Amino acid sequence: MIPLDRYPKEITLRNEAHVVLRPMTPADADGLWSFLRQLPEIDKSHFHEDVDRREVVEGWAKSLDYETALPILAISGDRIVGSVTLYRNQTGWKQRIGIVRILIAPDHRHLGLGTAMIREIRHLGEKFALNYLLAEVIEEQQAAVRALERMGFEKAMVHRNFVNDRKGHLHNLVVLLHPMSGLEKEIFY
Amino acid sequence: MNCSICGAGHFPAPARGKATPAGERSCPYQGVPYTELRAGHDQLYFGRWRRTDATSIDLRKAYQQLERLLHAIAVSIEKEDIPAARLDLGKAFEALHTAGPGEEGPEVRYLDHALSYAHRVIGDLLHEKGLPPHAPADFAEWYDAGEVPFREDW
Repeated sequence: MIPLDRYPKEITLRNEAHVVLRPMTPADADGLWSFLRQLPEIDKSHFHEDVDRREVVEGWAKSLDYETALPILAISGDRIVGSVTLYRNQTGWKQRIGIVRILIAPDHRHLGLGTAMIREIRHLGEKFALNYLLAEVIEEQQAAVRALERMGFEKAMVHRNFVNDRKGHLHNLVVLLHPMSGLEKEIFY
Repeated sequence: MNCSICGAGHFPAPARGKATPAGERSCPYQGVPYTELRAGHDQLYFGRWRRTDATSIDLRKAYQQLERLLHAIAVSIEKEDIPAARLDLGKAFEALHTAGPGEEGPEVRYLDHALSYAHRVIGDLLHEKGLPPHAPADFAEWYDAGEVPFREDW
């Protein structure tokens, strides 16, 4: 059971602007495509597909499956200004680990939106009874790293010259883990 | 003397504080949600115990204030469905117990950790109500704060 009854949820940013958080629907394809186009290249490095192509984003919107990937969008007016996605495996040895990806529009950074999105995903992670949240961030994205750390993520490792951006340049990848409360209740044999 | 509205000991310097038309200074926390928790947090955040010349008395006082703050937070989250906040509050109590009280006063590092966890829980409470996070820097002028640590938000 996916705990989505808390949405839509309105939050207030540090500049008093109001933003609504809610799960992505198929109708968000155009808005998401516009949002992704305004992001700096480095923020899009982790995507497996070319997200500048509208049909790629339309494909995502048509095949939404909240059980495996739950995208929560931040909407200001009629514009998408942020997204956080929680990826989960339904079976296998990583089924209690949630992978987190957060994207924030450049003009909505440093207003507390990123931190609010992290709070949101921590809440969902707890509701899904995950043991860990895992975030991978390119080291240059220092504001994101600091925000994740302030919200309880711990740097697990830094891979040097590990990932390449879309131009082929190498970057360090920071892996951060957030232990969830369920982990403390586990019985170890 | 503690403020009658928020219970905190702000306005330490006579020249500080905003003048009201009646010539009296108002409490900066008046009307803000979770007044007691936010003021209690800031009193510690800007407290003497964090200075390099802090005495063991300052540290013990901070320990007791922090204990009271954590108990007040525990009451506030009791009826809220915020598991992440419960986890952080547990960590805050754990850090507080690790801190001391100690013969020469509680250990600053762990008091600091406990206060950080408390700040995160207050943030969770505000987030659940759709409110912006609590930023102590917004209230710095009401305390005898020499320098506010820079904290970049995201």
